[in-house]
Amino acid sequence: MKGLFKSKPRTPADVVRQTRELLIFLDLHSGSRGGDAKREEKMAELSKNIRELKSILYGNGESEPVTEACVQLTQEFFRENTLRLLIICLPKLNLETRKDATQVVANLQRQQVSSKIVASEYLEANKDLLDTLISGYENMDIALHYGSMLRECIRHQSIARYVLESDHMKKFFDYIQLPNFDIASDASATFKELLTRHKATVAEFLSKNYDWFFSEFNTRLLSSTNYITKRQAIKFLGDMLLDRSNSTVMMRYVSSKDNLMILMNLLRDSSKNIQIEAFHVFKLFAANKNKPTEVVNILVTNRSKLLRFFAGFKIDKEDEQFEADKEQVIKEISAL
Amino acid sequence: MAAAAGSVGGDDHHHHQQARYPLDAGSYRLLCKIGSGVSAVVYKAACVPLGSAVVAIKAIDLERSRANLDEVWREAKAMALLSHRNVLRAHCSFTVGSHLWVVMPFMAAGSLHSILSHGFPDGLPEQCIAVVLRDTLRALCYLHEQGRIHRDIKAGNILVDSDGSVKLADFGVSASIYETAPSTSSAFSGPINHAPPPSGAALSSSCFNDMAGTPYWMAPEVIHSHVGYGIKADIWSFGITALELAHGRPPLSHLPPSKSMLMRITSRVRLEVDASSSSSEGSSSAARKKKKFSKAFKDMVSSCLCQEPAKRPSAEKLLRHPFFKGCRSRDYDYLVRNVLDAVPTVEERCRDSTQLCGCARGARCVSPCRHASSGSNVVAAKNRRISGWNFNEESFELDPTDKPPEQQQQQPCFPFHHDNDDDMVEHEQEQRRRQDGNDGSSDVAVPHLVTILGSLEMQRDMVMQVLEGDGGGGGETAGREEMLVGYVRELEKRVQELSTEVEEEMARNAHLQELLHERACENHTDSSHTSGSR
Repeated sequence: MKGLFKSKPRTPADVVRQTRELLIFLDLHSGSRGGDAKREEKMAELSKNIRELKSILYGNGESEPVTEACVQLTQEFFRENTLRLLIICLPKLNLETRKDATQVVANLQRQQVSSKIVASEYLEANKDLLDTLISGYENMDIALHYGSMLRECIRHQSIARYVLESDHMKKFFDYIQLPNFDIASDASATFKELLTRHKATVAEFLSKNYDWFFSEFNTRLLSSTNYITKRQAIKFLGDMLLDRSNSTVMMRYVSSKDNLMILMNLLRDSSKNIQIEAFHVFKLFAANKNKPTEVVNILVTNRSKLLRFFAGFKIDKEDEQFEADKEQVIKEISAL
Repeated sequence: MAAAAGSVGGDDHHHHQQARYPLDAGSYRLLCKIGSGVSAVVYKAACVPLGSAVVAIKAIDLERSRANLDEVWREAKAMALLSHRNVLRAHCSFTVGSHLWVVMPFMAAGSLHSILSHGFPDGLPEQCIAVVLRDTLRALCYLHEQGRIHRDIKAGNILVDSDGSVKLADFGVSASIYETAPSTSSAFSGPINHAPPPSGAALSSSCFNDMAGTPYWMAPEVIHSHVGYGIKADIWSFGITALELAHGRPPLSHLPPSKSMLMRITSRVRLEVDASSSSSEGSSSAARKKKKFSKAFKDMVSSCLCQEPAKRPSAEKLLRHPFFKGCRSRDYDYLVRNVLDAVPTVEERCRDSTQLCGCARGARCVSPCRHASSGSNVVAAKNRRISGWNFNEESFELDPTDKPPEQQQQQPCFPFHHDNDDDMVEHEQEQRRRQDGNDGSSDVAVPHLVTILGSLEMQRDMVMQVLEGDGGGGGETAGREEMLVGYVRELEKRVQELSTEVEEEMARNAHLQELLHERACENHTDSSHTSGSR
């Protein structure tokens, strides 16, 4: 890699153009893998170019990125379909170049040209690229790269909304439970990002899609046999419901007897971590000032058991907030 | 690096064709335990569908691990995306009940630390050091080129295979400079939460301000976290690792970890490879077998241990150092015959350790699988890492009383300079606090450590007074040094006392918690409230 940054002065736009030409070549000559000397040569050149894009955008060991260079690069990049080519050709690149490409795409999502985020506009006009990125979770080789790119793309509110409203949302319930830990966790990180980043959009999505979403959430994630799925889901449910922007959704959730039953089962989970996270959701049922009769009935039926359980429910670390919450829950249940 | 690529088949190209390791526990046959820690056990195992290929499986108990799932994922992801023949890469990982199984290459000879402990307590022969360090450097070159900082280079994280090849492990604290958001955007939920972006906008993107690493190997600027991390911090740790391999232990390791940090902050540590030649009369160390190291080696190490990060060579440059030029492929054979064949197998080491660990506390536990001495807070903090499989790197807490006092002079270290003392005070406190926070039992230990801190501050003030009183006379340096050493010993004794107290307190606390937990469990089983189905 030596001497890479000292090559003859090419403008950032030159580097983008060359990258694009090489990608087009690669896209057209995709049939045979390896063996072809010319193709290998082009590949090496492409790798070099993508690395150079990265060093322009991030700076290298010696120098910080230069704004003007970044602007030029971004402009040229989105002037044509470079992003599409790069995403489509990613599976053909070697690991190091995939990583560089991922970092380039990530960085470009934040670049502004005359105070406009060009990437966002491009993606809005090319939403099918999001479909491609999401389907990456079905391919172990590229899942982590597409996953990282996807999370950067949904920084744009309009793009996050597109994904939320698409049928892809249902697929996440499968992806999160993939056996491969890296990929399942990546999918779950993206899922979380989609459902937390743009508050208003998320609140709207949740109230419009309440029924199917929480039914999937309860039956597939909270009742999953996979420990990690369950633990992440219950933690995430707590975070989601406790977010002020989701208060309407929260009220609806804690007014359901079925949800309460699921949470009470989770309180008895063999995992302490899951118990604790479940408590943070359960307390919302107890603290609800307008409990529906069906919720009250269940709490009353199980009152003595619940109280006995909470009396012995401790966490390892001293936590004033936890103790106070527990106190409150005990008071609420006793008073019913 | 280019030269390295060809030999074992450039990893990149073969990446896609790699065998797929199955993602279910049933496909693996556990052969024997080769290591264990507080929240993880490492097995040697056979992957049945792949012709019973031998692998190492680290089974992490996620219920007991202190790390949250995001941290575990971040590390797994880092490991999955690194591909270099000198970097340990997981084959795959999947869940088995509440455990995460990380399937990794089996490195038959274990870690260099474990090799030192099981046969080379006084260090390895220089030619072996050269080959293993060269491979380690190649790994570092790769990581740095990726913009990744390892942050915990040490013998315990360098794994050796039966053919002498080496892989760098443990990315639990590694960080990528590409994962920080550019200074314009603040809310970035990417995988960098554990490394908060630099506070000052002036800091370059390659700076990290959180504490990471293991005290003895830590570079001064990592300790002075206000300077932030750079890749040069890894070079410092690399130099310390070289000394560790040469002497069998890292310099200053006779002091407790926090102490070693304090020393490095308040003093300028001058380290030389040849300990006996360092400052004050090494005559007393004559009893110890004197080791001769080449000038190239000493030169290489001292370039790494330059106080100024900028003056330390890059990994790439270091690789071209004459010390590594002399490496020949037959050195691997030498390593295999004279070192690897001379130590017990990892399986045997593990068996040994069960007994070893039963022995008195404070004895140097040497195996890679120290038995759950869960009282040791540092161990707990370490064990959440998933990539390495050497667990007891922390068992270095040498008991100073074991050693004759001369040992201290043998340690290549000191003279004090007071030039950068004034701005240290604050950071040193901060560091100590952070360090304390790291060890997982902060709630118990904090009041005590605060006491220690108070005491240390008092002591430091005394040292400062001495330094100021000196007024710059050059003549009586030796006398002053002796006085300082005296103070340091006092300080050390005090720290020792206090940490014993803290440990006792923690043991008490652990006991109480156990009782509480038991009671909670009883109550819990009692209260098996059937959820509102009726």
